[in-house]
Amino acid sequence: MMEKEKQLVKIEHLYKEFDSDTKVLKDINLTINKNEVIAILGPSGTGKSTLLRCLNYLTEPTSGVISISDVTVDAAHHTKKEILELRKHSSMVFQSYNLFKNKTALENVMEALTQVQKKPKAEAEKIALELLGKVGMLERKDFYPSKLSGGQQQRVGIARALAVNPNVLLFDEPTSALDPELVGEVLNTIKKLAEEGTTMILVTHEVGFAREVATRVLFMDGGQIAADGTPEEIIDHPENPRIRQFLNFVNRK
Amino acid sequence: MFKVSYFMEVLPVIASKVNVTFELTIAATIFALLVGVVIAVIGYYKVPVLSQLTRVYVSVMRGTPVVAQLYFFYYGIALYSNFVKNMTPLVAVAVVMSLNMGAFMSESIRGALLSVDEGQKEAAYSLGMTNLQLVVRIIIPQAVRIALPPLFNDVINLIKMTSLAFMIGVPDIMGAAKIEGAKTFRYFEIYAAVMLIYWIIVFILGIVHKFLEKKCASMY
Repeated sequence: MMEKEKQLVKIEHLYKEFDSDTKVLKDINLTINKNEVIAILGPSGTGKSTLLRCLNYLTEPTSGVISISDVTVDAAHHTKKEILELRKHSSMVFQSYNLFKNKTALENVMEALTQVQKKPKAEAEKIALELLGKVGMLERKDFYPSKLSGGQQQRVGIARALAVNPNVLLFDEPTSALDPELVGEVLNTIKKLAEEGTTMILVTHEVGFAREVATRVLFMDGGQIAADGTPEEIIDHPENPRIRQFLNFVNRK
Repeated sequence: MFKVSYFMEVLPVIASKVNVTFELTIAATIFALLVGVVIAVIGYYKVPVLSQLTRVYVSVMRGTPVVAQLYFFYYGIALYSNFVKNMTPLVAVAVVMSLNMGAFMSESIRGALLSVDEGQKEAAYSLGMTNLQLVVRIIIPQAVRIALPPLFNDVINLIKMTSLAFMIGVPDIMGAAKIEGAKTFRYFEIYAAVMLIYWIIVFILGIVHKFLEKKCASMY
């Protein structure tokens, strides 16, 4: 029973085909427990981002069942309402930040609080200010995204994702669009969350970072999970030759 | 030669018809915006059948002279439609101007709607926002800022377009000029006055346009 309670995300027989020739995900089965920090590694085009995006139906799976907390959505017969419910249990940090351009940093973080969770404005503002403080963006709370650097925008993006108090936080290559000197501030923010026990799934190319913060590493190859284990197993002592090849390639960059 | 005294005399006579110009412009702006928004939304959501029809409509409206459209409507369609036949010239001009400018405005509006990137929409969805919330809170505020300057430019064009009204007998600025011309044959002063009046109106609106453009660009 204990095991069952810790289980937070469950993916069963997930398939995604863009057309009959491009099968991006092939029978993904995965269970994620509360407080796990999962890093998904793998070569480009192996379905990492697609898998992540299927979890909140930004990409609609071809078939399969996804459960987060008490919401279960079956791709075969899903309703708009179910998807809306599913989305309320997770939130996402995007590669290109995707902040709302017509809203300040503070308003970006408040948006879902007032609109989705229907919290009163004062309460939403209090939560938003707290989170902006957490990501070190309090001083720039009234700035529009266009006046913020990439790293600052991404930190606001993280605060916005945290605001809805999600069961699981999804990171889709959160540092890939950043200049090298700005990667650190974002990684530090994510690290802080990991230390607090936030359940996270990270699609990333930062192998060193994955090694440091992840409690579990998935290696994806050809639309399947080719390896699933601790960072030590997957990154330090990879048995799979494809992983070694990938790590060699990444390290050489 | 150019007679200043006559020019000063005829200027207020012609300018007294400026209310017709404004009435037409305001009516046409409102209805053109309605037409424009409807067509833009159809195009934005790629509504089957309707979006193809509106594309043909926009192409015809943009690809033919307004004068031809006005004559086709007021004289052509009137042959088969009592509704059009019974229209006053003023209303008929307002209708044609709205239909014509609506096509132009739809393009500005559609472009503005499309300017909101997919990423922001995904962000809204990922937070559990509904489609309506996304449109009302994210897309429209951003689209308005993009669309406002070109739309205002369309309004300026509408002002100049009102001069067509006279061609089907609406007594506007151009109509007053014609009447004066028939009396005095001093076309030089008369049409100089006409141009000056239009120019002053458009010039003032041009300043507003510049201000609007700057304001929109620096909003966020």
